[in-house]
Amino acid sequence: MFEGLRARLQKVQGTLEKNIAGAASPQGSDASSVESPDTESGKDPSFLTRVKVLIADREFLISEKDIEEPLFELEMILLENDVALPVADEILRRVKAELTGKRRRIGESVDEIVISALRESLMGVLGQGFDLIGFIKSHDHPVKILFTGVNGTGKTTTVAKVASYLKKNGCTTVIGAGDTFRAGALEQIDVHAGRLGIKVIQHQAGADPSAVLFDAVQYAQAHRIDAVLADTAGRFHNRANLMNQLEKIRRVMKPDLVVYVDEAVAGNDAVVRAYEFEKTVGADAVILTKADMDSKGGAAISIAHTIGKPVMFLGTGQGYDDIIPFSPERVVGELLGDGA
Amino acid sequence: MLDRLGTSLKDALKKLAGKTVVDRAAVEELVKDLQRALIQADVNVRMVMALSQSIKARSLDEQPPKGMTVREHVLRIVYQELVKLVGSTGEAKLEPQVILMAGLQGSGKTTTTAKLARYFQRKGMRVGVICADTFRPGAFDQLNTLCMRINVPVFGNPDAKDALKIVREGLSSMSGNEVVIIDTQGRHALEGELIQEIIDIQKIASARHRWLVIDAALGQQAAEQARRFHDAINIDGVIITKMDGTAKGGGALSAVAETASGIVFIGSGETIDDLERFDPDGFISRLLGMGDLKALVERAEETMAGREVDVNAMLRGKFSLRDMYQQLEAVNRMGPLKQIMSMLPLGNMEIPQDAYDVTSTKMQRYRIIMDSMTDPELDDPSVMGSSRIHRIALGAGASPEEVRELLRYYKMMKKALKGVRGGQGKLNMQRMMKKFSGGM
Repeated sequence: MFEGLRARLQKVQGTLEKNIAGAASPQGSDASSVESPDTESGKDPSFLTRVKVLIADREFLISEKDIEEPLFELEMILLENDVALPVADEILRRVKAELTGKRRRIGESVDEIVISALRESLMGVLGQGFDLIGFIKSHDHPVKILFTGVNGTGKTTTVAKVASYLKKNGCTTVIGAGDTFRAGALEQIDVHAGRLGIKVIQHQAGADPSAVLFDAVQYAQAHRIDAVLADTAGRFHNRANLMNQLEKIRRVMKPDLVVYVDEAVAGNDAVVRAYEFEKTVGADAVILTKADMDSKGGAAISIAHTIGKPVMFLGTGQGYDDIIPFSPERVVGELLGDGA
Repeated sequence: MLDRLGTSLKDALKKLAGKTVVDRAAVEELVKDLQRALIQADVNVRMVMALSQSIKARSLDEQPPKGMTVREHVLRIVYQELVKLVGSTGEAKLEPQVILMAGLQGSGKTTTTAKLARYFQRKGMRVGVICADTFRPGAFDQLNTLCMRINVPVFGNPDAKDALKIVREGLSSMSGNEVVIIDTQGRHALEGELIQEIIDIQKIASARHRWLVIDAALGQQAAEQARRFHDAINIDGVIITKMDGTAKGGGALSAVAETASGIVFIGSGETIDDLERFDPDGFISRLLGMGDLKALVERAEETMAGREVDVNAMLRGKFSLRDMYQQLEAVNRMGPLKQIMSMLPLGNMEIPQDAYDVTSTKMQRYRIIMDSMTDPELDDPSVMGSSRIHRIALGAGASPEEVRELLRYYKMMKKALKGVRGGQGKLNMQRMMKKFSGGM
C-alpha cells in the first residue's frame, strides 16, 4: 500500500541530497581561502566553528537553511499520504534535528546521511511489530482478545480473518458476538464462523455485550480453547455512554489484549479517535484494515505515533487469508527503497 | 485539538483588525492557519494549496469596496473561496426515481440506504429498497431489519450470488413504488471485477441518481476513489456519513471536485432519522470547528413539527423546567444532547462534560420526577422549597436527593444556554465570521 509514498519519498531524498551536497561545496571553497583563519572571521563563532571543523576533521556542517525547502516538500508528501498534521510535524522535527548541525565527513555519502535520518524517524514512529502467535503461546489460556474501533472499520471481518489465521497456526478459538446492536451483525458473524468451522457464543440482538463475552470466556475455559476473540459493536469515541459500555466489557471479561481496529484509508481523524480509544479502554495493538484500497499508508504512521502501540496486522482484501503480519522494518525499507 | 484551531484562526483575524491597508504578513498568517485547519479536516492538500493561493492573491490585489474594512474584506474573500470549495447542494427531487448507492467497504451504504428510504417516506413518497449486496454475510438481514422498522419493502435474497439478477427482478417487483433505492456491496477502485459489476448494475437499472457514499474520516484517498467510481458510473452526488464522530468530512470535498457533483446528504447518527440535507454554510462551520445553528433549527422544526421545543425561546434565555421536560422527551428523536449542543454556535464556550453524561435511564427518571410537579413549579423552578421537594419526591417515588440533582442539572443547562444566547440570535456563516472578528 505504500507505493505512492515510496516514489515521492525517493524524490525528496534526491532533493535533500542535492541541497546538502550543494551546501557543502561553497563552504569548501570558502574554507580554502581562509586556510589560516584571521582575527576578523574569528569574531563570528559559528563561522569559526565551521572553519575549525573543516581544518580539524575535513567535515561539513549541514545548516537548517540547506534543507528547508526539501523539508517543506517532505511535509507536503507526508500530508498527501494521509499522515495526520501533528504527526507529520513531529516526523519533520526529528529529521531536522537529526540532520542539522550534523557534521559530514568528506567522502561520506550524503545519501547515507539522509536515508539514515529518515529511517531513524520513521522507525521511531512505527515502533516494533507484534507477534500474536508468540503472545498466545506465552500466556495462560484462554487468551482473551477484545476488538474495538469506530463504525465500519471492519471489526467483524477482521475477527473472522484473525480466527482463520490462528486456526492455520494451530490455535483453537471461539468468537464472542459482542455486536448486539447493529442489524445483521449476528447473522454476519454466524456465517463467517460457519464457513471457518469455529464456535460462536451469542445471545439475541440487543443483549448486554458484556454478558455475551463473559459467556464466551466461560465456554473457552470449559473447553480448553486457546483464544477468545471478542467482537464489539462499532462506536464513536465521543459517545460517553457507548464508551462506558466498552469500559464495562473490559471490566467483565478482563482481556489480555485489546486490539484497536481502524482503516488504512482514514485521514486526520485517525489520530483523534485512536487517542480517545487508547485513553478510555486502552489498546495494546492495532490492526489496519482496507490496506488494499490503494491507500497511502499514512494512517499506520499516524496511529502508531499517537498511541505508541505496535501495528499487528494489515487487512488486505475480502478473503479470510487477506491478512498479513505487519513488519515495520520491511515497510520502512520498502519506503526508502533499500534493503533496510 | 480543533478548538485550538478555531482559536488560532481567530488570533490571525485579530491581527487584521484596525488595519487600514491589507497587511501581507497578517494575511499570510491567516492563510497558514486556514491551511492547517483544512488539512486537519482531510481536505485534499492540493486543493488547500490552490485555495490559499487564491485567497492570498485576492486579499492583496483586490481593492476593498468602499465602506468595508480590511478585515471584512479579507473575511468576505475567505468565505467566498470556502463556499466555492465546498460546492453546492446536490439535487434530490421528490419525484419517481431509481437511486443507485455506491461506495467503499464500511462507508455506511446500507445504513444510509435505510435512512434515505426513511427520508423519502417522510416526504410522502412510496419507497422500495433492493439489496444487491450478495457478498457480505448479514447484509440482507441488516437492510431488512432496518426497513421493517419503517415498513419499507425490501427485495433481496441472502442466498443468491448474482447481483445483476437480483437487480433485474427487484426492479420489476418494486415497480409499484415511486422511489427505488438499490444498495450495493462495498467495493474499491482497484477491484476490477466489482467495478465492472456496478457498471452492469447501472446498465440494467439506468438509475436517475448514482450517489457515492463517503465516510467522513476518509483521507487523501477520497479523490482517487471518487475519480474511478465516476469513470465507471458517472457519480452525480455525494453522501457523507459518520459526521457524528470527530471527523470533519474534508475528504468528501475532493470527491465532489472529482465528480463535478454536489453533496446531497449528511449522515450524523445511528438512528434512522439521522440524515440531513447538505447545507454548505453549516458544513463550513463544522469544517473550521464552529457550531451551526441553522441546521439545528431546521432539524428541530422538522422533528418537532415546530411545537415542542422552541429553540429560539431557549436562546432568548427563557428556559424553564417545562422546556427541559420537552427537551428530554425529544431527545430520543433528536439524538443525544451532545449532538444537539454541537450544532449550537457555542464558540469557545465549554459545556461541562457532566451535562452530557446524563444517561438515558436518568433522563427517564427526570421525566417521572417532573411529572409530579405542578404547573407553577414547572414554569418557575425558583419557588421550589424543601417541602415542595419532599412532596415531589413522594409523588414520583424518588428520594429528595434525586429531585435536587434534577434541579442542579436544570441550573447547569440553563447556565449553558445563557452562554449561547450572547446576543447572537440567528446567525449564518457571514454573521458568524463577522462576530468572530468583531468581538475582539
